[in-house]
Amino acid sequence: MQNTGGKISIMTICMVVGIMLSIQFKTSSSYDVSLRGTRTDEMAYKISTISKERDAYSKEVVELRQKLTNLENGSGEAIADLQSELRKANVSAGLTSIEGPGIIVTINDNPKAVRLDIDVSNYLVHDYDILRIVNEIRASGAEAISINDQRITAMSEIRCAGTTVLVNQNRITPPFVMKATGDPKSLKAGLSMPGGILDQLTGFLQIKLESADKIEITAYNGVLKSDNSHPISTK
Amino acid sequence: MWLIILLCLLVGLFIGSQIPIFLPVSMVKYVSIGVLAALDSVFGGIRGYMEDSFDNTIFITGFFTNSLLAAGMAYLGDRLGLELYLAAVVVFGVRLFQNLGIIRRYLLRKDE
Repeated sequence: MQNTGGKISIMTICMVVGIMLSIQFKTSSSYDVSLRGTRTDEMAYKISTISKERDAYSKEVVELRQKLTNLENGSGEAIADLQSELRKANVSAGLTSIEGPGIIVTINDNPKAVRLDIDVSNYLVHDYDILRIVNEIRASGAEAISINDQRITAMSEIRCAGTTVLVNQNRITPPFVMKATGDPKSLKAGLSMPGGILDQLTGFLQIKLESADKIEITAYNGVLKSDNSHPISTK
Repeated sequence: MWLIILLCLLVGLFIGSQIPIFLPVSMVKYVSIGVLAALDSVFGGIRGYMEDSFDNTIFITGFFTNSLLAAGMAYLGDRLGLELYLAAVVVFGVRLFQNLGIIRRYLLRKDE
């Protein structure tokens, strides 16, 4: 056939199309297809509206609990006893904000983690690191604990969700600031023990431990679950 | 001649899989529609070749302008909130089928 110039163009353009096709295949096979396109925008928008609603409801929960406590205010000794019992119960359940002396532990990923190429996970904060530090804080005599202003109650979970940490169903991000009220000296001594968790993590993560005279720990603003359990009545 | 063209396509696929170029993820949508436009202009060129109406400049310029226009339309559609890339997909799909049918008829007629 004549027109060899045409043949050559077709052949080169075919090659170019082949190159483009395989680059395209390579790129799309290396990421999650379901997150492509406008669906991402919709989901991001949904997440932001639902988060705003959730925050508004949390505030309402705290206010309503405060109102409940206020309504109990009446006169009479029996009522006064009841109120002090209620107050104590609320404090230990984490339903009221607390203020007092204590310590603040701040941990964060090691900035060197971006440069190292061996076993980076040792230089990043994991949920179990936070869990062990909270355990140590409890063992050292804390009265109330919060992580990034999420109150830790008896039922609070500290869990990994992908690359973030979930506490009380809320996503928290580094730096992780753990506040605890109690006797600052014994708290600090308990945490600084050689061989303890902070000692084990030094050198891997960024750690800061300081005591303070006045720490405020916010109330728990989530749902209290008791669908399956009932208190055993004592007569 | 067709074997050589197919070989060129395979060589292109092979080269592309070896080159360590990755597209930024945000561009994947636009490049894919550009690829469809390129495929359409290749088939259009082959059909023109069969009809002896092939013009080199039209083929080459058509290749580039089609790809750029398709990617541009997809981008514009994203900015406007309209799915404009659908128009490009429909048009190129239809033209692909048409050109393929015509090429097939020419090939079969030659063999008679």
